[in-house]
Amino acid sequence: MSESSLRKATPGRLIAITVTLLILLSPFLWLLQMSFKTNDQILQFPPPLIFTPTLENYVSLWHSAFSASFVNSLLSASLSTALALLFGVPAAYALSRWSGGGKHGLSFAILVTRMAPPIAFTIPFFLFYRWIGLLDTITGLVLVYTSFNLPLVIWMMQPFFDTIPVSLEEAALVDGARTRTVFTKIVLPMVTPGIAATAILCFLYAWNDFFFALILTRTNARTAPVAVVNFMNYEGWEWGKIAAGGSLVMAPVLVFSLAVRRYLVSGLTAGAVKG
Amino acid sequence: MSGSGIDGERRRFIAFALTPSLIVLFAIAVLPAIYLVVTSLTPFQLTTPGSATDFSEPFRNYGLLPGDPRFVNSLAVQAKLSIASVLFQVLLGMGLALLLNVPSRFVEFARTFFLIPMVLPPIVVAVIWKLIYAPDISPLYYAAQALHITLPALTSSVDFALTSIVIADTWEWTPFTFLMVLAALQTIPDEYSEAALVDGASKLQIFWYVTLPFITPILVISGMFRLIDSVKAFPLIFLLTGGGPGTLTEVTNYYAYLLAFDTNEIGYSSAVTVVMLLLVCGISLGLVWMGRRREALA
Repeated sequence: MSESSLRKATPGRLIAITVTLLILLSPFLWLLQMSFKTNDQILQFPPPLIFTPTLENYVSLWHSAFSASFVNSLLSASLSTALALLFGVPAAYALSRWSGGGKHGLSFAILVTRMAPPIAFTIPFFLFYRWIGLLDTITGLVLVYTSFNLPLVIWMMQPFFDTIPVSLEEAALVDGARTRTVFTKIVLPMVTPGIAATAILCFLYAWNDFFFALILTRTNARTAPVAVVNFMNYEGWEWGKIAAGGSLVMAPVLVFSLAVRRYLVSGLTAGAVKG
Repeated sequence: MSGSGIDGERRRFIAFALTPSLIVLFAIAVLPAIYLVVTSLTPFQLTTPGSATDFSEPFRNYGLLPGDPRFVNSLAVQAKLSIASVLFQVLLGMGLALLLNVPSRFVEFARTFFLIPMVLPPIVVAVIWKLIYAPDISPLYYAAQALHITLPALTSSVDFALTSIVIADTWEWTPFTFLMVLAALQTIPDEYSEAALVDGASKLQIFWYVTLPFITPILVISGMFRLIDSVKAFPLIFLLTGGGPGTLTEVTNYYAYLLAFDTNEIGYSSAVTVVMLLLVCGISLGLVWMGRRREALA
């Protein structure tokens, strides 16, 4: 790309970018610093910006029921991701290679499932689970999360398969390989970055869910986001603990998001096409 | 080129790869949707036995909707919330994208951090803003106190409750429009603006006549995506205002939630949800149509 006289990283612009970033992130940083303060420090006026950080909030959280809800979140998010990939990856490949008339209709249906407000699924799932006894179980959560992760997998993986030249597969087919072998031995290895990125996104969507978990769980399968809100309602205004809980819930998300960015940038451009 | 043996085998494989997903999608997406529509035709309440299968007056719920002031109000609140926050998100996102559209390794590194609000769990975003809006501990109130300004309790004030939701929602989702607009900006060849510069155009003119026409489709599309998603805004309202004061911040989604899980009016809530679903489908169709038109133009 040629250097434009309009698009230069002048010092003034760099300062503007840094200041904007700091302002944008200040609410987030405020939560973070609060999680390392004692309740007395939090209520102090003016707020001390330099203080001895304490891990007290995190420690007391870990010894409470919060750790169990953290495990519930991990379990339901990973299981639903695995399930969605298992079904969705072959389907995305089939859709990418299939030029039948139903393709566009199916794509639209998938888009609608992604766009539908969660409440539309919550009412039927709630009634069904109540009847069959899946309320407040990990299995129940995994099923719901798969209902929005499966369309996501199909939606995201299709472009990755589209970038693989069909000629490559045809060559192998002419050589006598079966389609299934071509898929598992040639095509799948080429879209690994795409699968990784999709898996992380699925995990994040399930991990971030609040609404389904709020309605479909009580105590046994309660997830971390719901547990954080529960402090507010039942344990009074323990700001330090609330901030620490929030920080713990967002920790995996921040780590994975950094990973997904790397995969998306490299995976979409190079990896898949070169083979 | 390829024999019918290979073609047949290929077709079988495609069917084999697609069928399980179709069955699963049908079971966990289509069946619930049908169930929702069926339930919306009944006066179903969890506490009233037999009401789930009472189809004596199938369109009663839908008939009640136009005369339900809370439903009508919730649509108006939703419209206000959606339009205000989408407008801010598109404008701020575009501003950010223009600011960060420079070739620099530092800026490329900084870009990732601009995305943080968007990737945070929505409930954590709600907790963050709960802390910002809580008078005892908020930096906002410290600052106001230092300046001798008395701020009302924003989330429970009649004048500011909806605005406080708009601010939090804008903070959360501006990174999304920023990301989309930045991607569009990076496809504009530099030669265009350089040529305009040689011809003596000012920076503002270049923005207006070169940059803006290029990014308008993306502005519209990202705005539509946000519009559809704004219907889902739940955690912010749940944690910050609870729909109040009164019903000032009660959007349709939240009203449907209260109906079903607070007052047990499952049948009526389903009808509200079906109407909402139709609205979302309408906007999605518009989005698909616009995408096609754009492809045709390009």
